[in-house]
Amino acid sequence: MSDFLRSYLTVAIFGLVGFALVGAFLGLGRLLRPDKPNLAKTEAYESGVDPTGDMWSQSNIRYYIFALLFVMFDVEAVFIFPWAARLEAYEIFGLIEMAIFIFILLLGLLYAWRKGVLKWV
Amino acid sequence: MLAQIETLPVNTPDVDWAGLLPLAILGVGAVVLVMFRSVVKRLPADIETQVVTLVGPITVLGMWVAGGYAGENVPLASVRDDVGEPAFYIGLLVVMGVAALLVRTMQIGLDAAVTAGVGLSAISAVWALWDDRFTSTGPFNAIGDQFGVDGFSLVITGVIASAVVLVAFLLDDYLRREELDGPEMYVLMLLSAAGGVVMAGANDLIVLFLGLETLSIAVYVMAAMHVRRSESQEAGLKYFVLGAFSSAFLLYGIAMVYGATGSTNLIDIRIFLDSVVLVDDGLLMAGFALLLVGLGFKVAAAPFHSWTPDVYQGAPTPVVAFMASAVKAAGFAALVRVFVVTFGGYSSDWQPAVYALALLTLVVGSVLAVVQRDAKRMLAYSSISHAGFILVGVQASSPEGTASVVFYAVAYTFLVIGSFGVLTVVSGRGDRATSLDDLDGLAARRPALALAFTIFLLAQAGVPLTTGFVAKFEVIGAAVEARSYWLAIAAMVTAVVSAFLYLRIVLSMYMGTAAENPADDGSRIHPAAALAIGVALVITLGFGIVPGPIDELARDAVPHLVAAG
Amino acid sequence: MHALIAASSGATFPVLTALVVTPILGAVVLLLMPASRPEHFKQVAFLISAVVGAMSAWVMFEFETGAAASFQFVDRADWIEGLGISWALGIDGISLWLVVLTGALFPLAIVAINAEHTPKAYFSWILVLEAGCMGVFLALDLFAFFVFFEIVLVPMYFLIAQWGHGDRAYAATKFFLYTMFGSAFMLVGILATAFLTAAETGNALTFDLVEIAESQALATTTARWIFLSFALAFAVKVPLFPVHTWLPDAHTNAPTAGSVILAGVMLKLGTYGFLRFGIYLFPEAAVYFAPLMLTLGTIGILYGAIAATMQRDLKRLVAYSSVAHLGFIIIGTFALNTEGIEGGILQMVNHGVSTGALFLLVGMLYERRHTRQISELGGLQKPAPIFAAVFMVVMLSSIGLPGLNGFVGEFLTLIGAFAAHRWWAVVAASGVVIAALYLLWAYQRVFHGPAEGENATMKDLTLSEGLVMLPFLAAIVFMGVYPKPVLERMEPAVDALIAHVEANVDGFHEAEADELHPIELDDLEHLESDDADHGEGE
Repeated sequence: MSDFLRSYLTVAIFGLVGFALVGAFLGLGRLLRPDKPNLAKTEAYESGVDPTGDMWSQSNIRYYIFALLFVMFDVEAVFIFPWAARLEAYEIFGLIEMAIFIFILLLGLLYAWRKGVLKWV
Repeated sequence: MLAQIETLPVNTPDVDWAGLLPLAILGVGAVVLVMFRSVVKRLPADIETQVVTLVGPITVLGMWVAGGYAGENVPLASVRDDVGEPAFYIGLLVVMGVAALLVRTMQIGLDAAVTAGVGLSAISAVWALWDDRFTSTGPFNAIGDQFGVDGFSLVITGVIASAVVLVAFLLDDYLRREELDGPEMYVLMLLSAAGGVVMAGANDLIVLFLGLETLSIAVYVMAAMHVRRSESQEAGLKYFVLGAFSSAFLLYGIAMVYGATGSTNLIDIRIFLDSVVLVDDGLLMAGFALLLVGLGFKVAAAPFHSWTPDVYQGAPTPVVAFMASAVKAAGFAALVRVFVVTFGGYSSDWQPAVYALALLTLVVGSVLAVVQRDAKRMLAYSSISHAGFILVGVQASSPEGTASVVFYAVAYTFLVIGSFGVLTVVSGRGDRATSLDDLDGLAARRPALALAFTIFLLAQAGVPLTTGFVAKFEVIGAAVEARSYWLAIAAMVTAVVSAFLYLRIVLSMYMGTAAENPADDGSRIHPAAALAIGVALVITLGFGIVPGPIDELARDAVPHLVAAG
Repeated sequence: MHALIAASSGATFPVLTALVVTPILGAVVLLLMPASRPEHFKQVAFLISAVVGAMSAWVMFEFETGAAASFQFVDRADWIEGLGISWALGIDGISLWLVVLTGALFPLAIVAINAEHTPKAYFSWILVLEAGCMGVFLALDLFAFFVFFEIVLVPMYFLIAQWGHGDRAYAATKFFLYTMFGSAFMLVGILATAFLTAAETGNALTFDLVEIAESQALATTTARWIFLSFALAFAVKVPLFPVHTWLPDAHTNAPTAGSVILAGVMLKLGTYGFLRFGIYLFPEAAVYFAPLMLTLGTIGILYGAIAATMQRDLKRLVAYSSVAHLGFIIIGTFALNTEGIEGGILQMVNHGVSTGALFLLVGMLYERRHTRQISELGGLQKPAPIFAAVFMVVMLSSIGLPGLNGFVGEFLTLIGAFAAHRWWAVVAASGVVIAALYLLWAYQRVFHGPAEGENATMKDLTLSEGLVMLPFLAAIVFMGVYPKPVLERMEPAVDALIAHVEANVDGFHEAEADELHPIELDDLEHLESDDADHGEGE
């Protein structure tokens, strides 16, 4: 087996162990907990909004704005992690780069804030 | 096993800040503008007027500084030495005063003034780079080998920056008329322009893609900016969905080319293709096809044009002016950079495809335009047929062809901004009055505007003594030189078909009887819009009669891949 | 030839550039004038066109007769250096008379007719048109030629569309698109000529007419294709038979001044193009396609004449007669001998004078009677005898009555064509007869008979109208009686053109009319070889 595939073997083992652990915990829970099902508990989102109904039902536009703001910082994190891992190698250049990047994102937040979209009325 | 990664040293690329200056000015301009407007939402009216007046002198200073930083010497240094420092600075003050006065007479808003100032500073930087740097030391790379500064990218950058300035003038009055006032449009336009500049200079397919997305996403939003018009929303959504689709094609094409050549860097690809004979080039061909589809969408080449009429008709008219000028110029810049320059050795493989694309685009653009009833839609189709003409120049795959593409891009930018500028003025409150009936009798209502529109339309038709004619002449010349006679003839014949359409618009302006139009209140044209149309007109006619300077510029604007090292 | 140009370009005042630029400056002046005093527009426009006319007259007198057949008064400057395009203007015996015609006709057309509305734009367009026409006749650079050839469309388009009558939008658009369609091919042809010549000779790219024509570097087949692309553009402009249909519409619906200029000057752009750019650039192709062009010309003569006979509208009749007259010019030109080409050029001038005058007269008639239908007119001779007399003279000149100018041109073209291609000339000559038929018949119906209704009270020619007509009549009689000054100025250039053809086409010799007399009916060999030539050509 080539080295290339061997390194995937690690991934496969990791995955298997993961599945086994999750299965073990779920099975253990099932064995231990009391089981009394009712209608509210069997819903897909327990205690949430009823997921059935008209596909075109309207939902509040603010959800989207918050989702967008979330994505913004989510993506920021995606970039910051690998950068943080190599921070020493990038030195001061990397620090400035990241500062600019975060500044632009913060600018977006500032804009959104001043536009008043952060207020949930 | 996993812990074996060593900390490799990171090569921070050599950055030539001067070469990046036009890009930086546009990008930083956008950021500063949005920051300012986020902090200070609205100034009191009298203070705003003072601030706007100040923008004039600041622009002059900005141009001076930008030019000084980009070039080898401070611009006008020789003048300063000649007249002595005191006289020079007094002169500078006078110019700043004149600029302030000019801004004041234009009655322009703060955002538009800042945008125009940023655009002018970028033009000044381009000018300095061209004059001091490019002509003396030739093309160079600005960030590692990722972003090239050559004559080609400089001219396209200049075109995009000019479009920003003129469209900012058009937008000012338009946004107030449509009650959409705000900094967003200007910020998006500057960002989009920055993306276009990246595309024009990209030396790497990934960088190219970054530029393309920056350019496109901003324009999608701009198209949907008219919140009270459902057509505008539709245009934005349509443009976005189809644009995203085309981006996917482009990205897939990039992946294919990477698979075939082992690099996304255009310089490396070129070197690889020049030195290695591919036994099996299927992957590369598939990459060509997908790249062509992706870029074809952006420049609205048939059969990837179907978004154009709806988007052009629905989007706010000044935004259309920007789309048809800057976006198209950037798209063609990318097309030339990738195909003519990088894949030039394989031109016999992609030329037939571009040939077919050009032919189809010309026919579709001219023939379908004839049956339209709306001037904006007609011009949308005509922009498709112009894209066909530029493709004829691309198809030649020669220095002559590239020069003709540059010439066409320069000429068409001003033509189309002028045309849509006129439509911006006449479309009236609500941006709807653009059908042929609405143009009826325009010559009686607004003779000067009608004459300007006539000149723009005739120029688009290719009537001599306008830049439109010389542009067609150069493109056809390139095709003839490449021995594509039939394509050249087909292009000219479709130009005649298109002429019918322009004549229809002209006829309705001059022969129409409707002396009054409810949408057109007949008020004076806003000075800023008049200035934009006037500048476009002067350039169209002036360089139509004396095309030499632009011709020389286009000939010097050779795209160059500078090998790193 | 090139060296000669350089030698003769020592003129101090760039008169030819002035001929082109003055009208454009005039148009700009008109545009800048305040709209409050509309009566001044006509005066200023007339003044400017008169200055241009005076300059062209000066050129005519200063023109060196009998000198070498080179271009005179040459102006040359770089225009687009990168493409080898220059602003090159020059004049020789071929273009001289067309320039003079243009210079003379425009002031008359301006002074004779008032603008029906918006005089500012009207006179501006006419001046732009004059500049374009001058440019076509003077250009010595293919690019410059094309620019002027195309630019004339715009003013004429607006003249028809804005100041025309009837279905003017249709007529104007048709005119524009037809001509542009032809030019589309010519543009490709021009570029192909320049690029291929540069590739063959290895010289730098140039659009210089003389340089390209003298190098003759193109392959035979290529040259023939390119000639066809030029020929299409010129054929539309002339107009030749299958592509002539824009002409009657344009003429009928155009304002009077538009018709006068269209017939007088603009139709010659095509025939002049054939001479200067078709034959001079592609002599071999011109010889090769001569039978085709002769056939089209002959068809034009007969078709135009027959169609004219059947018209009910007087202006349309004159328009169709133009188709016939231009057919004579074409057969004269493609006879490719001295008589034919000289006759063709003379006929161009003659047609400009006589048909221009006819359109003016028809316009005056229309102003008085507001109809051009022949059936509604009649007996005009009684109320308007002078008008009738003037009309008579002009009409007879158009028919080609000996002693008037039309005869000289038509006769020369027929002699030339007879010497070169006998049977075409025989057929074409019948066109002369039909011309007499339709014009005399029309004259009879309009001017003879009893005058009824409004016809009986028609106003005669006023003094000012008479003064406008006077130069036309003078030219008609002078050129009919004493054409020598005209012919001797064009002769060196025509001979040089034919020599150029002879030098560049293997086995081509000018079919000289002198060889015809005495009539050699027994010279069967000559006839046979003549026929054999045709066989080759077809």
